[in-house]
Amino acid sequence: MSRTVQFAVGGAVIAAILIGIIYQGTQSTVFFHTPSEILAAPSDFKGKLIRIGALVLPASTHWNEDAVRLEFKITEDSRQTIPVIFEGVKPDMYREGQGVVIEGRMDGQGVFRANTLLVKHSEEYDVDQAKRIDKEQMYRSLMKAEQ
Amino acid sequence: MTKVLGWLSLAGFLCVGVLIFGFTPNDRLMGFSQKIMYLHLPSIWITYLSFFVVFYCSIAYLWKRRERFDRIANSAAEIGVLFCGLGILTGAIWGRPTWGTYWVWDARLTTTLLLFLIFVGYVVLRAFTDPGEKQARMAAVIGIVGFLDIPLIHLSVQWWRTLHQPSTMFKLGGEGRPQPAMPPEFLYPLLLSLLVMTVFYGFLLLYRLRIEERADMLAERLAER
Repeated sequence: MSRTVQFAVGGAVIAAILIGIIYQGTQSTVFFHTPSEILAAPSDFKGKLIRIGALVLPASTHWNEDAVRLEFKITEDSRQTIPVIFEGVKPDMYREGQGVVIEGRMDGQGVFRANTLLVKHSEEYDVDQAKRIDKEQMYRSLMKAEQ
Repeated sequence: MTKVLGWLSLAGFLCVGVLIFGFTPNDRLMGFSQKIMYLHLPSIWITYLSFFVVFYCSIAYLWKRRERFDRIANSAAEIGVLFCGLGILTGAIWGRPTWGTYWVWDARLTTTLLLFLIFVGYVVLRAFTDPGEKQARMAAVIGIVGFLDIPLIHLSVQWWRTLHQPSTMFKLGGEGRPQPAMPPEFLYPLLLSLLVMTVFYGFLLLYRLRIEERADMLAERLAER
């Protein structure tokens, strides 16, 4: 086989793989769905492993320490909500009104059963006014000293 | 010049460290773990800068065919890989307490990993081919194509839904002007950290370039014998 043919075959293989990847990519370019997308077409998502990105509805959290189960509602406009049951530990960064990305499946009763809960952080930073630099405490925690 | 930059960056790192751990307040939501931002963001900035140097010098090499451009591109690519790896690593360490995971396959993280792999490929290509005009030409093409991933990384958080938050430093305020979304207590240490990291980058690049020049000189002398 001449070098030109070799290059042509190799190039074609690479091009085919690239086209395949791009095609796959356009089929599912979203990292997560939104609650309104789910509620608009519930049958499309039922039983499928999906991610949802949304805000935690304020005053909807129920944290069951004994069962290690976190229940809350997600929303994007405070009107349409989806109840979520997450079997796992409540993350430190979990706050009501904050963004979360959850992974799991919709069950038959319209409840989202999450097996992964990620907390989304906004691009905004702010100073902790409540304990505006408690240096001593910081070094204690760094040195693992007695609190 | 190289020495001056080295000492300057060492002093700068000490200043930044004292400033960040001694005087800068903690973030309201993330607390202490947010301090890794002062390393994460400058690492990514140097990654962008370094691969831009590769991009620029690769074009210049293909145009002018001067060996010096090839040497600078090679040096900058190696340092860029280092900082890109550091950016990904600090991001993972930051992601664990903040998001609850070291890694997700969202658009920001995936395109950044792609950038890292492209330039690892660049370094590997250099290592496995003989030095010369042909190697320089191939490397230049990868350097130019690889750089094109950076605008994609930057815009990924605007185009797609990602776990990674949108840009803080280029957030638009009123009248469409960039207005960083952080209080001055965070912004000034960050700007200082960016400056120090840039000085340190200058030091690394000059040093690496000198090694490259001497290696070439040595190769020439050996060839003469």
